[in-house]
Amino acid sequence: MTYQHAQDNWFAAFVIGFIALAVLINILRARVGAQLYIRRIPGLDAIDEAIGRSTELGRPVTMIPGLTSFGVVAVQALTIFKYITQQIARFATPMRLLTGDPTVFAVAQEAIYDAYNEAGRPDLYDADNIRFLSDRQFAFASGVAGLIQRERVAASFMFGEFFAESLIFAETGNMVGAIQIAGTTSFTQVPFFVAACDYTIIGDEFYATSAYLSREPVLLGSLVGQDIAKLFFALTAVGGAIIASIAGTDAPIIKLLGQPGGWDAFFGGGK
Amino acid sequence: MTPLTHLIAQSIWRLPETLSKDQRYLYASLIVLGAFVLVLGLIPVLQTLPPRGRRAVIVTVTFLAGLFFAAEFFLPVDWRSIFPKDDPTRNFLTPAIQPAQNVLQIIGALALGLGTYGLVRLHLRNVVQKRTQWGYSVVLLVAFVTMATFSIWNTLAEKELVKKTPFVERGFSILFDFTLVQLDAAMFSLIAFYIFSAAYRAFRIRSVEASILMFTAMVVMIGVVPLGAYISYTLLGLPQGPAPADADLWTRILHSAGLPTIANWVLTTLNAPVQRAIEFGVGIGGLAMAIRLWLSLERGVT
Repeated sequence: MTYQHAQDNWFAAFVIGFIALAVLINILRARVGAQLYIRRIPGLDAIDEAIGRSTELGRPVTMIPGLTSFGVVAVQALTIFKYITQQIARFATPMRLLTGDPTVFAVAQEAIYDAYNEAGRPDLYDADNIRFLSDRQFAFASGVAGLIQRERVAASFMFGEFFAESLIFAETGNMVGAIQIAGTTSFTQVPFFVAACDYTIIGDEFYATSAYLSREPVLLGSLVGQDIAKLFFALTAVGGAIIASIAGTDAPIIKLLGQPGGWDAFFGGGK
Repeated sequence: MTPLTHLIAQSIWRLPETLSKDQRYLYASLIVLGAFVLVLGLIPVLQTLPPRGRRAVIVTVTFLAGLFFAAEFFLPVDWRSIFPKDDPTRNFLTPAIQPAQNVLQIIGALALGLGTYGLVRLHLRNVVQKRTQWGYSVVLLVAFVTMATFSIWNTLAEKELVKKTPFVERGFSILFDFTLVQLDAAMFSLIAFYIFSAAYRAFRIRSVEASILMFTAMVVMIGVVPLGAYISYTLLGLPQGPAPADADLWTRILHSAGLPTIANWVLTTLNAPVQRAIEFGVGIGGLAMAIRLWLSLERGVT
């Protein structure tokens, strides 16, 4: 088996280092008290509204991280669910967290328990409300759809990585009249969520969610670092397009950045 | 040697060929036994630690694990100038990547046991306490036990650890191929109907944006199926393919006006760059999150 290494393309390694540096420097800036701005995200403002509706109706809130296996996407999704659970705990609203990955299930149990604890209501925690249904895609989908129908959920939060099952969740929620807020990194599923949900968090807004909700300096700083990295990519794309248009795709600078082996290959060395 | 030890020695550990068969099985068994003892001993030790101590352990392990993968990626791979016989496609940490990934798989397998336990416990309670709709729980438990029995039996039979009988083979085939796979297909086919109802809501003309969306979607949908080519090239008689180099402006416009050409332009010139931009954003966000997790700056669920 072959593995990728920084030496395969030093430019890519440099970009990773640059992003890491941008993120860390801005986290430090935020920690020393720099005021950082974050724009309004309507979908996230609607979380409280959805919880309020569930409380009024006395019907449960569902939280679905999809089939996300344990990784950065799952951690982000659980961070959002933890925030939602803290809000839910204030009103003793019933909740169900449904997952299709056993590792996420184990961590979710701890995260939700912590959320109830931090909200001062550990008595409301019920391990049965965090459910691993199945790791088979459509068995999981039918389990979630069945629960949404049977319990007539009032609000549904879908954050994580979704595949073809996304529309099954969203349409079933729509049928029972639930307020639905979805956020995913799977851009192929975004159109389905946009069509079927009340609010959709798109692309990297998903990673901005925890910063938006908690306003923690570390997260806000990280977000500014991400924006600097995005600006860098945008400038590289525009610069690359201009250079390729003027000098052609064989221009030395384009070879330097894109050729396997990176600078090694450019200077005649390489593997 | 027992079949289980044989399975462990063959599939999990690759012990040196110089060892005899008996020695390899013995070592494999000891290693697995040792790992179990270590894990079972570690859990109570971690439980006795105060929250701050537990957090320190998690922070240290997370940092070291992240450092290992980062160092493996960033360290140069070609060390032939110092060690002439070295493999130029990997550094000294690369061989440890696969075992590290195996560890992750083992953790996942343990978690699967935990998840299954939670699921069975919940439904057993539903049945015992006769909660609302407990009949569904009975169905789940019966299906679970039946499927698990036939699956495990069939897997052991395939590995020649138990005798393969027509009953097992047929039973597994009925449960898996003729039931589970078909139920999966039925769920998947539901998506077609859901797409229809979702598309109806999305395409209702309520604003300028919705109108543009609907018009573009119609062009793409018709353009990528044979109907688009039929309307453009047979009914309207538009010219197909790229315009000649010396063609005038009007001819060029006619060559570009076919629905398949417009649909292709929308997909490759408008849609693809936007998707790439979103992917870049998601990638950067993921990297930032990974850094925060590695350095234990993320306080959400850790």
